[in-house]
Amino acid sequence: MANSMKIALAGNPNSGKTTLFNAITGSEQYVGNWPGVTVEKKDGILHGHKEVVIQDLPGIYSLSPYSMEEKVSRNFLVDEKPDAILNIVDGTNIERNLYLSTQLAELGIPMVMAVNMMDVVKKNGDKIDFEKIGRALRCEVVGISALKKEGDVEAAEMAVRLAKKGSVDKGPDKTPDVPHVFSGSVEHAIAHIEESIQGKVPSRSIRWYAIKIFERDREVIKNLGIGVGEMKHIEEHIRDCEKELGDDAESIITNQRYDFIKRLMDKSLALNEKRHSKATLSDRIDKFVTHRFLAIPIFVLSLCVMWWLAVAENGPGTLLTDWANDGFLADGWHLPFTTHEVDGKDYDTAKEDFAKAEATVAAWEAGEKKASIEDEETGEVADEWDIDEAAYKAAKEVEEPDPSKYGVWVPGIGALITGALERAGVGDTVKSLVVDGAWGGVATVLGFVPVIFIVFLFLAFLEDCGYMARVAFIMDRIFRKFGLSGKSFIPILIGKGCGVPAVMATRTIENERARRMTVILATFVPCGAKTVIIAMFAALFFREQWYVAALMDVVGIAIIILGGIALKKTRPFSGEASSFVLELPAYHMPTVSGVWHHTWNRLKGYILKAGLIIFPACVFLWFVMHFDWSLNLLADEEIEKSILHDLGSWIAWFFAPLGFGSWQGAAASVSAEIAKEQATATLGLVAANMDGATTGSHIQALFASVSAFPKLAALSFMLFNLFVPPCMVAIAVTFREMGSKKWGWFAVAFQLFVGYVIALNAYRLGVLFAGGGFGIWTAVAILIDVFCIWMIFRPARKEATANEGAEV
Amino acid sequence: MNAASAVVLGIVLALAALAVWRNMKKGAPCECGGYRKSCGGGCCCHCNDEG
Repeated sequence: MANSMKIALAGNPNSGKTTLFNAITGSEQYVGNWPGVTVEKKDGILHGHKEVVIQDLPGIYSLSPYSMEEKVSRNFLVDEKPDAILNIVDGTNIERNLYLSTQLAELGIPMVMAVNMMDVVKKNGDKIDFEKIGRALRCEVVGISALKKEGDVEAAEMAVRLAKKGSVDKGPDKTPDVPHVFSGSVEHAIAHIEESIQGKVPSRSIRWYAIKIFERDREVIKNLGIGVGEMKHIEEHIRDCEKELGDDAESIITNQRYDFIKRLMDKSLALNEKRHSKATLSDRIDKFVTHRFLAIPIFVLSLCVMWWLAVAENGPGTLLTDWANDGFLADGWHLPFTTHEVDGKDYDTAKEDFAKAEATVAAWEAGEKKASIEDEETGEVADEWDIDEAAYKAAKEVEEPDPSKYGVWVPGIGALITGALERAGVGDTVKSLVVDGAWGGVATVLGFVPVIFIVFLFLAFLEDCGYMARVAFIMDRIFRKFGLSGKSFIPILIGKGCGVPAVMATRTIENERARRMTVILATFVPCGAKTVIIAMFAALFFREQWYVAALMDVVGIAIIILGGIALKKTRPFSGEASSFVLELPAYHMPTVSGVWHHTWNRLKGYILKAGLIIFPACVFLWFVMHFDWSLNLLADEEIEKSILHDLGSWIAWFFAPLGFGSWQGAAASVSAEIAKEQATATLGLVAANMDGATTGSHIQALFASVSAFPKLAALSFMLFNLFVPPCMVAIAVTFREMGSKKWGWFAVAFQLFVGYVIALNAYRLGVLFAGGGFGIWTAVAILIDVFCIWMIFRPARKEATANEGAEV
Repeated sequence: MNAASAVVLGIVLALAALAVWRNMKKGAPCECGGYRKSCGGGCCCHCNDEG
């Protein structure tokens, strides 16, 4: 690698490291204002310095590794020896942030402290004396605002200069002049330890190693291979010190560090007392938002607003989705404000008249005395009328309306593709592959981009203004009541975007049992891809019940809580909830660019997936749907001889109790493991030969063909695909994070059980209440419910301890 | 099958094969941008630099 300089970006969680990283490297890493967003270190090249690599480390509170991401940061700083540290410090919480800074300074690596959020500090009327802090910690200090891109580049440049200089200033003994923050007896013991380990550790970091040994850090002692005799000698110094100060070594270091910081702050921080004595706007908002009774209703309300905007009848999401599905991606659309009537009729009326004329001609030629047309959405008879010869002749005269005569007509992509293929003289089979297979599947998924966009936009707004951090706080309060930690909720929040980073975000949980449990539960909140499934079913079956969409999120959270309670009562997951430290950032109005950045990043990946995953998958599915086992090409009416039909039929029995036991339902559900939105694309593809004029009506007809209660069957299909194991990639990451195949398979089995049981209950109990009768599967559903209720309410195990299973 | 059909079929199959090859090389794209393999085999879903 040509890069020759490494600068580590280190700081407390949620201090703005990733925002600074993005600003100085031009990267687009995900930024969240809750702790635990970065769980792996990431590299970027500093703008204008091709030789400088910036390493964004997970946020940590200290260099004592308790959780996996703390280990990642500490190991990098100690073992990989960066040329400089850019320590980002939250200026509005400087006292607490300095705890880590004092430890970083002890590493003897050149360090620049970038005091972030200076815009807020100034607005609050507070003053920080950078010079005094720099002198005390032997580092350069600079004020920045990463969000407003003020001072960020200067801080990075300063770190480069320091790194080039080679090292921090040397003291008289040629070792780095690192801060000495402890009292005489502690310094005395540390000096003895330094003497004992000389030559065994890099000289610049000798003080840090000595302090860690004083604290009896097992990992450091083990890695240095200090002999028993030598350690006995060191222990004598430590014990003398403990005896003199009346405390254990680790507490002595912690307390004296805080004393040092307090003294430093007394000299260098001037708070605006007037402002700090009264409640801020954030405090006043939090009185309601985090209120013990109002918090949950406000959270549910915010979910309802989001889903109303996305899927409610005549809401912005539905209007845009209809435009995308029927216009932009299909036939075409009229430019707004350009439409006009022709012969006293607008385009829609003329289209209806033509459809009626076509129906009249078809019915008369079939020898019928009545003609009818169906509703495109519901597939039901919308209109029926008597016909005679005069009506037939009149109908024959009606011409198909030309949309371009009714306004400025923009052809849709589907129409353009069909037109181009027809003009080129492409045969029907290949045309079907392109229009129904490849484009049909991709368009089914892309048609719901408006819904995804609204959901992501709303979530980005809630995240950026600081509300989502409150949601984590609220959930911690609820989770704790059930023996779960709020730390488990952070991955769940991240999982709303994508299940893969959600599973990885569990690394912030130090208790291994709680971590495994969170890996199993994190993907139950519908991710972006599952939002497409919700959007499709909300549009096709629950237009008037938009709250069904919001309910899916609530069901997801309920499964996590109830599943967590049940799992906690089993031996492998028992134990007390670990503590959860969360800082609530001040509310602020999100920037347009920030919200757009968040939204577009998620949307971009989703659109890309339609081209890279859904497209080849649909091409493959079209082939297996249009060929038999002897590889003979099948006509549309021969689909039941196809490979896909046979494959689907072999496993359809598994889905029969859930109300969608057809080969199409089976094929859609299994293909969803490629990517969850593939379920919608496959449904669009396999339902293409069902009754109806549009993809939507085909799918409605498909569910009507397998169940007398198509809405319940559709609900069951949606629930099954939302709550069974996530896509293949998320499953692979689950196996990796679980660390063993046994636990990986357990996670998959648990998720499959939960998804199946929920779908079974929704369908069987729904049929029961709708008057469809009591069957064997209704009894099975009730029996499983009784078992689940027993798992949830049985007494908890007693032998659990706080950090059982943790790798500390 | 006429020539136009053969050409279109070839294009569709080539594009599908290209997509599969790209996924195998870079890893599948994530919902929130980036590619799985750009994050060292797994997917952090944060790396948008295309590795």
